Amino acid sequence: MALEFDTTNEATGAGPSTPAPELWHGIDQWMGSPEFQKMMKDEFPEDAPEWLDPVTRRQALKLMGASIALAGAIGCNPSLKPASGRKIIPYVNKPEQITPGVPLFFATAMTIGGYASGLLVKSHEGRPIKAEGNPSHPGSLGSTDLFAQASVLGLYDPDRSKEVRFNGTTTTWEKAKSALNTIISAQKLKKGAGFRVLSEASTSPTVAALMAELKLALPEMKWLQYEPIGRENANKGIKLAFGEYANAVYHFEKADVILSLEADFLGTGVGGVRYARDAMSRRKVRIGHDKKAGDGVTLNGLSRIYAVESMTTGTGGVADHRLPLKPTEIESFLRELAKELGVAGAPAAGTLPANAKAWIKPVAADLKKAGAKAAIIAGDSLSAVAHALVHAIHAKLGAIGTTIAFTETVQTGLNGPDADSIADGAAALKTLTEELKGGKVEALFVFGGNPAFNAPADFAFAEVLKASKAVKVHVGAYHDETAVLCDWHINEAHYLEAWGDARSYEGTVSIQQPLIAPLHGGKSVLEVLATVLNKAYQTTLGLVQETYSNAFAAKKLAGTFDSYWHKSVETGIVADSAAAIKKVELKLSDAVAKSPAPATKADEIELQFRADPTLFDGRFANNGWLQETPKPITLLTWDNAAIVSPATAEKLKCEIAFKWTAGEHGRSEVDMIELKVGTQILKVAVWILPGHADDVITLHVGYGREKNAGTVATGTGFNAYKLRNSTGLWLVPGIKPLESAKRTEEKYILACTQGQHAMEGRRPARHGTLEQARAEKKAIDNHTKHAFDFADNPPASAAEKGLMRSLLPGTPEERERLAITYKDDGYKNNQHRHEGEEHQEHIHDARLLPLTLVDDHKPNKLYRRWAMAIDLGACTGCNACITACVSENNVPVIGKTEVTRGRIMHWIRLDRYFAIKDEVGGTKRIDDKDRWEALKASTAEVTTHFQPVNCQQCEKAPCELVCPVGATVHSADGLNDMAYNRCVGTRYCANNCPYKVRRFNFIQYADYATGTTTSLVNNPEVTIRTRGVMEKCTYCVQRIRNAEIEAEREHDNPGRLKDERSKRPIIKDGEIKTACQSACPSQAIAFGDLNYDQYEVGGKSIGFSEVSRWKLEPTHYGLLAELNTMPRTTYLAAIKNPNPELKGA
Amino acid sequence: MPQVFPKSMNPISRILLLAIPIFASGGGVALAAFFRSDYTTGRNETVEQPIAFSHLHHVSQLGIDCRYCHTSVENSAYAGIPPTKTCMNCHQQMWTGADILAPVRKSYLNDIPIEWNKVHNIPHYTYFNHSIHVAKGVGCVSCHERIDQMPLVYQSKTLLMEWCLDCHRNPEKNLRPKSEIFNLPWSPKEPQFVVKQKFDSTTNAESLKDRVVTPYTPEYEAKTLSDVVENGKKYTVKETVCSTIDSDGEPIAVTSQMELGRMLKDKYVVRNKATLTNCSICHR
Repeated sequence: MALEFDTTNEATGAGPSTPAPELWHGIDQWMGSPEFQKMMKDEFPEDAPEWLDPVTRRQALKLMGASIALAGAIGCNPSLKPASGRKIIPYVNKPEQITPGVPLFFATAMTIGGYASGLLVKSHEGRPIKAEGNPSHPGSLGSTDLFAQASVLGLYDPDRSKEVRFNGTTTTWEKAKSALNTIISAQKLKKGAGFRVLSEASTSPTVAALMAELKLALPEMKWLQYEPIGRENANKGIKLAFGEYANAVYHFEKADVILSLEADFLGTGVGGVRYARDAMSRRKVRIGHDKKAGDGVTLNGLSRIYAVESMTTGTGGVADHRLPLKPTEIESFLRELAKELGVAGAPAAGTLPANAKAWIKPVAADLKKAGAKAAIIAGDSLSAVAHALVHAIHAKLGAIGTTIAFTETVQTGLNGPDADSIADGAAALKTLTEELKGGKVEALFVFGGNPAFNAPADFAFAEVLKASKAVKVHVGAYHDETAVLCDWHINEAHYLEAWGDARSYEGTVSIQQPLIAPLHGGKSVLEVLATVLNKAYQTTLGLVQETYSNAFAAKKLAGTFDSYWHKSVETGIVADSAAAIKKVELKLSDAVAKSPAPATKADEIELQFRADPTLFDGRFANNGWLQETPKPITLLTWDNAAIVSPATAEKLKCEIAFKWTAGEHGRSEVDMIELKVGTQILKVAVWILPGHADDVITLHVGYGREKNAGTVATGTGFNAYKLRNSTGLWLVPGIKPLESAKRTEEKYILACTQGQHAMEGRRPARHGTLEQARAEKKAIDNHTKHAFDFADNPPASAAEKGLMRSLLPGTPEERERLAITYKDDGYKNNQHRHEGEEHQEHIHDARLLPLTLVDDHKPNKLYRRWAMAIDLGACTGCNACITACVSENNVPVIGKTEVTRGRIMHWIRLDRYFAIKDEVGGTKRIDDKDRWEALKASTAEVTTHFQPVNCQQCEKAPCELVCPVGATVHSADGLNDMAYNRCVGTRYCANNCPYKVRRFNFIQYADYATGTTTSLVNNPEVTIRTRGVMEKCTYCVQRIRNAEIEAEREHDNPGRLKDERSKRPIIKDGEIKTACQSACPSQAIAFGDLNYDQYEVGGKSIGFSEVSRWKLEPTHYGLLAELNTMPRTTYLAAIKNPNPELKGA
Repeated sequence: MPQVFPKSMNPISRILLLAIPIFASGGGVALAAFFRSDYTTGRNETVEQPIAFSHLHHVSQLGIDCRYCHTSVENSAYAGIPPTKTCMNCHQQMWTGADILAPVRKSYLNDIPIEWNKVHNIPHYTYFNHSIHVAKGVGCVSCHERIDQMPLVYQSKTLLMEWCLDCHRNPEKNLRPKSEIFNLPWSPKEPQFVVKQKFDSTTNAESLKDRVVTPYTPEYEAKTLSDVVENGKKYTVKETVCSTIDSDGEPIAVTSQMELGRMLKDKYVVRNKATLTNCSICHR
């Protein structure tokens, strides 16, 4: 494979002796290609301002379709007069609790794979617009994942099914009702022998109660639950280990050592949001002098995370040690480890590469040392035997009861007579397919899900369903692939439209409270069940209430049911409903010991399937917010791809040097390969990912919808389900390179944001090791040093360094510089009174600062100084912040074509860097001649680093100086304001921004015209930007201003805390949370007032705000702070905790 | 070559030369004036409404408080347009058959809202908040002028940004005691009460039970009051002619608007010019 990088291009500075970058975005940056060098120098690509061809534009607009139609309720105003023709439409009877202009929050719950995440959804005049986490919900604790954030857009999706259909033609719910009753009456005669219900995984107690009632009427019916991203291996593993089904609940906050085996437990997955919070609470190191009790952990409290995985995940990124292995090798690794730890009945292992072998002893020793405080988590894709072994190790280490607890099962039916069928949804679906084929099924109800699209390919479920003579009833949100094959289709209500309930990962029940009447008259599964049961009910509320009035009576609780119910609805959780702890005893099944060793063949490639990081199993395919959210790690948007390592790409004869054309690396032209599994063939684009295990191809499922999927979903990506068989749900070994994985002549354009907004080698994302931190701890404690060397600015003289730090908001040095003493006249040393004006106070700093470009009138201590800190040690790169920001700030969706032009609009981006580490965990510098070979050889040494970058709200903002119209100016509290209506679109500001955080509306992205339902999702507190306007992160200024108004309004309320000196009402720390901060599962973002400690109550300071405390940490640094921009958003360097025994491994 | 223009053209060309800058700047001035004119801003233009609702009648003649209808003015960005139910509270019992109220009854019976035409139209990128203005002592009259005298509502200010900034730079001009926010005709120069107060000479605390408030009459004459001694305590007695008594009980002496404004700016902790003119105060 010839590489075509011009290594002698002097003009670009990429000469032969340039050392490789420490941190790099992608392969081309690592290689130092001339194209990359050139790209780096331009803020915008050459052709970016122009519309090159009108046809693509139309396509782009078509693509953007549903999600981009985010119009404001604002028309263009033809007249000069502002007051032409706008209406005010008041209520006829105003609902008591609604005050126009004041949003309300309601507790509700959203389910994925049956498990609930508790939410507080914001409603403006009856219109749900934003999801926040519910702080009282154990699965959320106030945070959400990106799915919950984007689910609000799903409510307004114009492609949702809007009517009841019979054989494709519109009919009425009344007719459907009588048809349903006919089906049930006919089945009653046969005791339901021919009746089947196929649903998604369910934990809802009310659904369970109604299904039980149905089963009484139809005793021979069967209820199956199928999830394409199922937990069959985890379920079966627990049964193999303990002889019964149970629910595993981890407590990572108690874990000193965590071993993750192909489990992205910090990302998506059951309990992922809570697990991220728990695990990352042990990664936030707080050793500053001003830390408060409960802030993070000390150096000794830092946990250690090992990740053994084939696909790079966020978990692998934060891990201290990451070992990329083939999936079969991971199984062998676990078996070897179990053996090393002395687990009785550990089965034989297959072959392991030398570097994996070197891991066994140190990791085993570390786990043993941690004992009860060790946790091992296996991914859903690992075999049942592996899951059983993991629990056997837990038992051996005594971790059961500390880091892992087992509770009664949470999924409905997992403790019943049909447990085996519920535990293995795919097997159950297979039985159903055969029954359908054999004509045994006379009536089939499909509740949600899309089995015609996502069932294992070997079932040919769609064909069987089509051919079946049974009466088929589909209840679903979309008229999708499954719906068209069914006789009846009932449009399902969104979770924000209907009452319901569901349980969290640890069993706590949440009430799913609707916020809006069904937009299209949708029905929930509960309503369908109540109909077939002939239950008299007014609304679904009655059905849910019945479950809890029964439970209330059964539990003999004190008080009235009404107050019990209202409390449950208000808090969003039913008190004391967590699943009971189950005492389990290890009874490792013989099947474990007897299971054959996994066969790893060196010359074969293993193909694995995973849930898509942004579309999950494909259910969010029509959600533009999620399509456009870059996927963690790969940073691809709008597509999936066959992800391979550099060495494997070479083996497949794929081109290494992507053709990055047009756009700042948005558009990458890649090779396509043809994958063959059995007789099924899929052509798919190839994406090369450093750090991915060699000889493995990772495919994310959920893409490749062809029809009946909606405007956004149709035609994106490749359908991996085509290759997914029941025998290889997660893994297909034996792919022969150049035979069953063959390069084609075709090329494909992928929209990847990887190189966009690159910032050259200035150590943007910093990290150090525990060892380094310990070495410097003494100096920190003695106040002789304020920052760790690894977090400090790049090499400079000591004086310069000190100056730089004194110009970084929030550092101890800066506090010293701004220190205030009082003069005799009551004014401070750096303030004075302007004659003739009242209260025009501001700091006059006598010590003029060098390198200063702007007016030195800095904000007075009486102003609030908003600032943000991001802890890189806790960031898992999950991208929930991006989706939260999109939802809060009406950020437009621009479509794949526009992303390929490098115009992505997100206000916060998640930079993902790769580094190749050397022996001591630093970054290895390799000369460019050897770079390709080095990259190929160092798959195991590639580390991944995350860094969220939003507007840094510089105190000396370079963008402000160059704006010719004053559209971006500073506010007194330090925000870099954008006045959209002033912006004329010169883009000078973006050119001058060293952080590349400004986004330009190249065309009319926001839809003012079409007036679809999507316009309802807009946040009325934020302006919808028009074409030709620059935009960027505002620190959610609407939230700040609203909180200020609320506080200032109470200037005479004795109940409001006030600063005694200025009489100003105080906005309490934590009262304002930015959208990204509140969504962040690991709480890696702090936001607040840097001047908080200046306020006095009762004659003394009220203490540091959270963000101030973070910024006083020795890990604190500013991104490009050496440019003297004085950024208000700053970072805490990550501290890694490598195992000294594993040096170099 | 003969001269093209005769010599007599000289004064004309001079005048023309002079005229160019005059016309150019005049044009500028004219444009600026046009931009601010009632024609452009829609000021003083009565907007037709589905129901000829008269503030003059309801507020001035009947004395209904602003907040009876505009309920959320103290706690929301929007003052709130009353729901039909509010109209019907009274009109279920009076003028039940009046033709003018037919649309109200129709709305109430059919549960269809009344569509009012917007009068004060602020651009969508501007986020005005009623509650904070009311809380900081900006009265209705500052923006809506004498709306209590309007049979039909019209926009009485330009609503141009310069008009907003004029007050945001100098809020003193428009601050009034919180007790008089909804009292449109109130003026700080009009004496209303005579307040006699007794202060403890040492602590300077007012003895509230001894406060005497009498209505002001033109016959009132200022007297010199001497200190009194009661139960061995010395008290200072003070008599003030007041324009109002603030909602916290503080008598507000008759004074000029600017002086009152300065006093209230401190009292209500109104933020300073630098903060109030931040872009993001109104634009988000």
